[in-house]
Parts: sequence; structure tokens; C-alpha cells
Amino acid sequence: MRLKLFTFRGTFILLSASALIMSSCGNETTKETDELPPVDSTQSTILNVSGEIFSIPSPIQTAFLIKNSGAAYSKEVINAPSKSAQYSTNFSKAMNLGIYGADLGYVTIFDQTQDAIGYLNAAKRLADELGVAGAFDAQTIERFTKNLGNKDSMLVLTGVAYRSSDAYLKNNDRNDVSGLILAGGWLESLFFATNVYKIKPSEEVKRRIAEQKTSLQSLIKLLTQYYSQPEYTEFVDNLNDLSSVFDGVEFTYSYEKPTTDAEKKVTTINSKTEVKITPEQIESITQKTKAIRNQIVE
Amino acid sequence: MKKGIFKMMLVICGLIIVNTASAQISDTVSNICARHLESQFISDGQQYKALLMNSDETAEFHTTLYGGTVYRIAACSGLNDGNLIFSVYDTERNLLFTNSEFKNAPYWDFKIKNSLDCVIEAKLNGSAAGSGRAVVLIGFKQQK
Repeated sequence: MRLKLFTFRGTFILLSASALIMSSCGNETTKETDELPPVDSTQSTILNVSGEIFSIPSPIQTAFLIKNSGAAYSKEVINAPSKSAQYSTNFSKAMNLGIYGADLGYVTIFDQTQDAIGYLNAAKRLADELGVAGAFDAQTIERFTKNLGNKDSMLVLTGVAYRSSDAYLKNNDRNDVSGLILAGGWLESLFFATNVYKIKPSEEVKRRIAEQKTSLQSLIKLLTQYYSQPEYTEFVDNLNDLSSVFDGVEFTYSYEKPTTDAEKKVTTINSKTEVKITPEQIESITQKTKAIRNQIVE
Repeated sequence: MKKGIFKMMLVICGLIIVNTASAQISDTVSNICARHLESQFISDGQQYKALLMNSDETAEFHTTLYGGTVYRIAACSGLNDGNLIFSVYDTERNLLFTNSEFKNAPYWDFKIKNSLDCVIEAKLNGSAAGSGRAVVLIGFKQQK
């Protein structure tokens, strides 16, 4: 009996030490081997609903479109970084971390370097408060600061920071927070597009608004699993209300054979999609998006 | 009583180790995959992962690709390139691309003329791996 207890204790100490060592190793990958140990099948994936994984396009892509449409830089469409201190719940912190990510992309694309620092710090503050380790660490901030003025590098670093946050949250079974960050970024990019369309209508921006139909459906599927939590209930209800407007948006897809350049490792997708969205639908989407977004940032 | 507590702690400890190991495997595979992406492309800010138990299992990733954009899709499993077969389909299940026709290339670029919804399927290369974590990353840049 004594021996058995000693064995349990010894094994416990050994396992504890192993856990500590593995935790402290962090991201170091010095001892890489080809053989990966079998892993627990319950450690499945994030964003995985009924065996499907949903991807939400980066809000930075819509910020690019806004700039290319000829629209002027406007602080009216972004959330002031000074507000980052007022968000007190994990829900509002996660949503606004997503919003600030989109804003960081927006100000960077419009070459507003000084504003970019403010948004980076706002994102870092919320990420720290949410306990997202590593994504906005001192090294990332330093790299970002060193690359101020180099738009391409700043955008790449923003993408890396948000991917690291996403990975950290998924690895730590915090899929709800990860989903809210995505939702915040998505909502902000739709807010950009609807605002710009009101001031400077263009076919490209109109089309981009219509194209949010699928992403919205994906977000609803993703967040509905947390519907019983009060903050999610209202938000998902609001998204469903917005989705009812998108239901009337029509797409006609026609397949065309893609062309591939194997040497350059590039495939050109030649298929075409026609979109039909009415001015009334755009107006309704604009109003509803503004109302949902204002509720989140206030 | 003491034995029971030790047993319980042992199980908890084991779970911590499995969880930590699992997270580190994901991080490692993800970092390898990111090398194919983040020097030239902006990450979409997400990491898509799925645990595949054998080469018959398929993970499905649903996404929208915007027109006027060049995307890079990087797909990895394990520590070597070529362990993951990925295919891109439109919503009518027309095959748009599969890396199995190109020596299981770990990444591929896609020029998108018109926006489309698509499905990316990933499965393990049966001859290279028994089971493993599939990681897919998506990056983009504006088409010039």
C-alpha cells in the first residue's frame, strides 16, 4: 500500500514536472520530430459547427476596397481608441478587439500612422484584459513601431497578431471569445462599407455589401451555440434581424473552368457571380448595421 | 481517501499534459504553415484546424473569396510539407483546384476574378500520415 502510494505520488510529481516543462516551453520548436503524438479527439476545432468550419473574410479587405473606391479618410467610421478603457465585460472587450482590428487596418491603409499606434495600443489593452497571451507582446509592438510608414509590413503584422490571438483562443477552448472578435471585425467592415456607400455610392462597394450575406449566415451559425448567454441572445437576435434583409439579396453563379499556371503555382478562378440588391435593402442594411454597431461601441 | 485524491490529481495532471501537448502541436504546425504565407500575404487573422483520425476523414472549411484579390491557401499537417491534400470546390461542387495534382504542394495562390463562396476540403495524405492535426491558413493581397 505504502509502495502504491509512493508510486502514485512519484507519478504525480513526474507528470506535474512534465506539464510544467511543456507549458514553459511555449512556442519553442527546437526539438521537432516527424512523428506527432496521438491527440485527444475531443480537442477538435474552433468554428466547427456540425463538422463544418466557417471562415470570415478579413475586414482589412473591405478597408482596401474603401480606399480604392476613392473615399476619403473619415474618423466617423472608426471607433475612438480612447474608448478601450470603458469596456468592462468580456463580451464587449472581445467585440471591440475585433472592431479595433478592422480600424487598425483602415487607418493603416489610409496612411494614418499616428492613429495606427493608438489603435494598436487599444487592441493590446483589450487582448491583455481578455488574457490573450503573446499576440500583442512587446516584440510585436516593437516590430510594428519599427515598420511605421511601411504599410505592407504593418498590415502583415496586424494579420499575424490577430491570427496568433485566434490560435491562442482556439487552443485554450475559448471559441466564444474567438467568434466575438471575428464578429466585431466583420461588423466594423460592414459599417465602413455602408457609410462609404451613403457618401460615395459605387458598384464595387454595393456589391461588397451584398457579399456579406454568406459571412453573416456563418457568424449566426457560429454564435448561436452561445445563444443562452444573455449578451449573445440580443446580439444573435440582432444579427438574425439583419439577415432577414439579406434574405432578399439574390446571387446568380455561373461556373467557368479555372486556369492553372503550375510553374507559378497560381490558379485563376474564372467563374462569375451576378448580384441583385435593391436601394431599399441597402438602406435597411445600413440602418440596422449602424444600430447594432453603436450598441457595441458605446 | 488519500489514494482517491491522488488518482484524481493524476487524471487532472494527465489532462493538462494532453491539452498542453495538443496546443503545442497546433502551434508548431501552424508556425510551419505560416512560413508559406506571411512573408508576402496578409493573414485573414484566423487559424483553421481540425483533427483527422485517418485519411478517410475530411475537414470542410467554408469561405468567401472576394473578386480582385489574390489569395494564398497554405495547408499543413505534421512537420513536413505534402502531408495534407486540399481541394477547393465551388458551392455547386465543381472542383476548382486540388493540390493532389501538384505533388501535394503545401500552398497555392488563387486569382479571383469575381467573388465566390467556396468550400476547402482537407484530408491527410494516406501514404504519409496515420492521424494528425490539419491546419489551413488563408492570406490575401490586392490584385495589381
